[in-house]
Amino acid sequence: MAPIRDKFTIHSKAVVCQDVELKGDITIGAGTIVHPKATIFAIAGPIVIGSGCIIEESAIVVNRRKEVMRIGDDNLFEIGCRVESPSIGSFNTISVRARIHHTVRISSFCVIGAGCMLIPQEDETLDDYTVVYGPEAERRTWSGKGKIQEADLRRKHAEYLREMLPKFNRLRRGDGA
Amino acid sequence: MPAPSILYHCPCLSTSPVPPPPHLPSSSYSFHPLHTLFFCEECDAVRCNRCVSVEVSGYYCPNCLFEVPSASVRAEKNRCARNCFMCPNCRNTLSVVPSDPPDPGDGRLMVPISAVGEPPFLLYCNYCRWDSSEVGMTFEKPTGLAAQLQKFEDSALDSLEFDRLKEHFEPIIRASSLSSSTLPTQAAHSPHTNPITAAATAALARDIPGVAKYTPLTRSQRGHKDKSANKDEMPQYKSRVDITTASKHGTGGGELDVEMMKRLEDVSEIARLEQRWSLSWTTSIETRDLKPLRIPLHSKRSKRCPACTHILIKPEQKAQSVRFKIKLAAASYLPAIVVALPHRQQALAVESAKRSMVKSTTAPPDEDREGKCELQAGKTYPFNLALSNPLYDPIQVRLSVQRMHVSHSEGAPDKARRPPFAISLPTSPFTISAFAEAWEYEEDDEMFGLDDDEVLEARLRGEKEIKTKPKSVGVLEKKGNTTVIGGEVVIGKEARGNVKFNMLVSFTYRSDDPSPSESNDMGSPSKAGSKVTETKTFAFYTVVDLGAIIPKEEAKYIDDIL
Repeated sequence: MAPIRDKFTIHSKAVVCQDVELKGDITIGAGTIVHPKATIFAIAGPIVIGSGCIIEESAIVVNRRKEVMRIGDDNLFEIGCRVESPSIGSFNTISVRARIHHTVRISSFCVIGAGCMLIPQEDETLDDYTVVYGPEAERRTWSGKGKIQEADLRRKHAEYLREMLPKFNRLRRGDGA
Repeated sequence: MPAPSILYHCPCLSTSPVPPPPHLPSSSYSFHPLHTLFFCEECDAVRCNRCVSVEVSGYYCPNCLFEVPSASVRAEKNRCARNCFMCPNCRNTLSVVPSDPPDPGDGRLMVPISAVGEPPFLLYCNYCRWDSSEVGMTFEKPTGLAAQLQKFEDSALDSLEFDRLKEHFEPIIRASSLSSSTLPTQAAHSPHTNPITAAATAALARDIPGVAKYTPLTRSQRGHKDKSANKDEMPQYKSRVDITTASKHGTGGGELDVEMMKRLEDVSEIARLEQRWSLSWTTSIETRDLKPLRIPLHSKRSKRCPACTHILIKPEQKAQSVRFKIKLAAASYLPAIVVALPHRQQALAVESAKRSMVKSTTAPPDEDREGKCELQAGKTYPFNLALSNPLYDPIQVRLSVQRMHVSHSEGAPDKARRPPFAISLPTSPFTISAFAEAWEYEEDDEMFGLDDDEVLEARLRGEKEIKTKPKSVGVLEKKGNTTVIGGEVVIGKEARGNVKFNMLVSFTYRSDDPSPSESNDMGSPSKAGSKVTETKTFAFYTVVDLGAIIPKEEAKYIDDIL
């Protein structure tokens, strides 16, 4: 395999801490926050992260496929989760220590519960508002009630981090800057 | 309980103070972990949860920690009457959330929103995202939800049925409380005078086709007249709704369910058994019909000694408090014993060292470990008992193994029932120093670790060195209020089953209530005179389980073939 060429494109309004591990071709959109000790690996194809996402400590985002891994806007990747999903919509929550295999595509407004493993053998796509929860990764569909409040909370969360993280961490800039 | 383990005996199940031999099934009922036991100071005896009498000292909601007065416990059917609900889907607690502001309709999420939520309010599960609008349940205001739901609940079929049942049994219950209060002695001696038991007996004696008739022993002596009297006492109950037609009232069951299942697309449309388990009535089996449940109340209980009715444990009244007003736990009276098998600990240590070096989390370590840790037939193993003294005075301890194997082999001539193993323990008494709080904080963990490593290395260099080590039986170590005793188990060649034996622990301690003149003789416990007057001995049985023996059978069998 050819050595991975690093190419980081980080929006000037994104907050990416110095102590993150980035590899490969990565694009990070406006207002996205990457906490220290997070890992983003674009092993095979590039990773494009939209705006307003929050990637917490020791979360791992990996692209094992050739095509571009697109992550939408306002997603929350909680502590210790591992995501290899080739495409992710918007307003999803991947909870603490959840694991998503590269066979799963995620639409929007999905919630992957704490510690859930999503490792199907065949490719599948989670519909909008899918909730995965519990030790056996059960699924149900959320009615979507309260999503505006949740989106509001997510934005406030990101806003707070954008303000506070730079006070205590060095930030990483993109290649262009 | 994983071996090696130790359990303490409570003599409440038998009349003799000697526990049953450990290989009998009844043995496991007489032994308990130390932390579950109590100690009655008045009776000077161990008490277990099986023998204490329990009384409720207060009810509270585990979610909002509100103390519910016992009068309203019954009225609220043992559930929280405030804002606490359980998710019918996943059993998480539900939170009350306001609805979203109206959708502007342009497909974009409207942000920001006002901090004050707007009605209607919903119950919402943070875990599985169930919300009460799925079952058509919304609230005008975010407080007093249970009261808002009251009218639905009161008109529900099951609560109406329950009220009817209560009405039906009320006269009988009243009569029983009356009779037991007026004739307490008689009621105690002949249980059939109690109308409730009488009614229950009559119900049991009813003829059910295909079921053998229930005839209590007393019946034959008591004649025919009483039987008819029993039947008269309880009028037959007629249910409000016939259960066979209940499905017509929307409670599920029967043809309706069959129809529904024919059109079923997904298994998750059917509520699982555990989701319907706590419902008392036949309900629809569909997931979408599950209703939020008010959270069941918990109780704080105090326990009394069965013999002297002194309180053994009594919690503080406040629901927020986790402390106890009175706590006579056995752990603060009896020495705590920890059993260890040195050869197993080494195997574990080696294993963990290996694992940390290789750092392979995927390989299951258990298979390898088990081979090293098991007790093999025909071998000798040392074991350690670490005794910790909870008392503020030093104690003298004597250990002895109950001689049950010998008597057993006499009783059973079968050769396989020979004593499968022999235990050697130091027979002379030894002391354990007094408990002092300062030892709790002493930082000698590192020292201990070093010691362990040295021993480990020695063992790794050669097993023989250790086997000829002079001190495997006796006092091995004294540190703080803990004394480690070494023992040895010799396992017979034909042995199988568990190495499990009863051990009598008797210890002598300075009595807590000395005569007034002897308050200043802390330094002279060895004086013969004072010893007689102010020491006491307490003995208790324990059962020690060192683990399963690996029989030599398989290996031998292969040898035989070859």
